[in-house]
Amino acid sequence: MSETVEPHELSQEDFLAEVHSFQFWLEAVDGYLGGTSFGCDPDLPEQTFAGEELEFLITTLCNYCIGERAALEASSGMIRFAPDPEAAIFLATQVVDEGRHLEVFVHRLKMLGVSDPWTEIDQRANHSLLKFKDRLLEFVDQRDWEASLLVQNVILEAMEFSAFQAHAASADPITAAVLTGVVKDERRHMGFGENDLGRKLLHAPHTRSRLNQIARELNTLALSTFSEIAESLGLQGETDVSANYLATMDRLGFPHG
Amino acid sequence: MDDPLLELNKAGSEQPEARNSSDGARQRFVLGETGFNEVPRKYRKFYRKWQGEGDSLALNEVLCPVCLVVIRSSRELRVGDRVYCMPCMSRLIVTREDGILLAKVVY
Repeated sequence: MSETVEPHELSQEDFLAEVHSFQFWLEAVDGYLGGTSFGCDPDLPEQTFAGEELEFLITTLCNYCIGERAALEASSGMIRFAPDPEAAIFLATQVVDEGRHLEVFVHRLKMLGVSDPWTEIDQRANHSLLKFKDRLLEFVDQRDWEASLLVQNVILEAMEFSAFQAHAASADPITAAVLTGVVKDERRHMGFGENDLGRKLLHAPHTRSRLNQIARELNTLALSTFSEIAESLGLQGETDVSANYLATMDRLGFPHG
Repeated sequence: MDDPLLELNKAGSEQPEARNSSDGARQRFVLGETGFNEVPRKYRKFYRKWQGEGDSLALNEVLCPVCLVVIRSSRELRVGDRVYCMPCMSRLIVTREDGILLAKVVY
């Protein structure tokens, strides 16, 4: 019923206004979340897990919840110092996404028999990830847009994107469906971060060395967390959780090695 | 996980929907639905999922290096063309490396 519009003919200004809008978000998520319940088809069958396999999955989901809660708190705080109204509106859509991610992962934990997910999340928390979260929220409290964007939308989102995608490929049907929906949201968050930061760096190249220092400190914490997750799920060897992040930093012109 | 950029080196180009334009200039393409569902309906024909090994890009397609979605146009793409990846909000310019058309992010 809707008309087709060639997106590549839009001006850059119109393109950004379109993709940062709440309307775009509404119509996009309707495409892959419409008809789902807590991020998946309610008729999907539950798998039977072996003891150790279930433990690994619960620990993994608990740590996904910590990452999503960090992003929920950070992205909502960033709205107050977003550089323009369109960025603020986009961040509002990200807040909704992060809240949904946290909810679907907690719901999945309950389906797996975890009666008190919030306590379980605290008990199974990866210390590197908690430290990463604290540092991210410090940048938000300081109203440091570039650092917050780098840490949240580039480092955290890029590593989550790789880890979730790899996990979805080998997970049970319900967890895979939940993760696939989350990965589709992460594309927007990751792309927003890289593109906004890329534009900022063009106009403020002097911030590059400061951001590079922050990246070196924080990417170690995120990498150790997601590498541990990949190892516990048996994904190591097939998945390099840092590859996507390193490619992003390379495009942004940050040295690494 | 499949590396789309490596796969491109192996894969050829196909353009099953291509229509030659009468003046021999760029080919035009009639785009069909691809099952891609991450953007509003009116834009969905312009994107598709990269299928991994065995997949190839047509003359009107490039791969987004940011989110690895295939971007499609209704005309043959050439070096210097601008395309947008709506799923990850990137502006890209078509370039050529080792004889293969690639998309490069422009901030």
